[in-house]
Amino acid sequence: MNKTVIKFFTIADYEEEELWLRQMHQNGYKLVKMYIPCFYVFEECEKEDVIYRLDYRSYEPDDDYWQMLKDFGWEHFAHCLNWHYYRKKADQLENAEDGELFSDNASRVEMISSVIRTRMMPIIVIFLCCVAPNFGRYLSGEAFGPWDRFFMLFYSIMFVIYVYLICHCGLKLRKLKDKYSN
Amino acid sequence: MDDKIKRIYVPMTESGFYILYCLQEPQHGYGISQQVRKMSGGQVVISAGTMYGTLSKMEKDGLIRFCYEEEKRKLYQISELGKQVLDLEIARIERLYLNSKGENVNE
Repeated sequence: MNKTVIKFFTIADYEEEELWLRQMHQNGYKLVKMYIPCFYVFEECEKEDVIYRLDYRSYEPDDDYWQMLKDFGWEHFAHCLNWHYYRKKADQLENAEDGELFSDNASRVEMISSVIRTRMMPIIVIFLCCVAPNFGRYLSGEAFGPWDRFFMLFYSIMFVIYVYLICHCGLKLRKLKDKYSN
Repeated sequence: MDDKIKRIYVPMTESGFYILYCLQEPQHGYGISQQVRKMSGGQVVISAGTMYGTLSKMEKDGLIRFCYEEEKRKLYQISELGKQVLDLEIARIERLYLNSKGENVNE
């Protein structure tokens, strides 16, 4: 039987997400797909130790990419907003590196930089060009028509979400980058 | 060779070196990883994401070139620029090796 779980992971929490998916599988639930971010569809399965890994590709990869991941023993089973989900049974591993998508820090840092460039930057631009100016406008009490109460509430919520996202993801991605920089 | 290439690839990462070294013959990503595992006695393992990323980057920078495709796998081979970079790396590693044995490099 399928069950849908709603859980929130930001672009900086992919390592936690991998661990959570592994734990779900150990408890007898394997991820089958994701409709939209945060909505995980699981299927009941045998309890097994399966390694989950996420890869971020800012562009649509070519056939060579899918074939290579397959050759290396990874099963691709879901993707969501440029994040690709892979898994491999833990007992198939010959050594620890077989359970990793990245075997050196240079390529780990490369992926984090790509997330910052193509995901973090747009968040900052939308915040600076849209959310913050509108929030400021309503805060200063410039506009008060019939719909403005609604928009004020909307932009206040957006403001809080964006500030949280920028602080949390910004700090965490930097921390991850430091961790993997030699 | 321009300074940008030198800055990025000299010295290069261990995976980068093995990949470039193996591409003296046409080869695809998985084939390279198998060859590296064998020649290093299992001590150097290059994972899928690292392999794909490094090959894409080296192709973009002109160190390797795409040869042909075989059952959805792209085969690459080292370019003239790649050979120059590889030679620089090999000379650097030889110097390190000699110095690590307490020997001086003859001018």
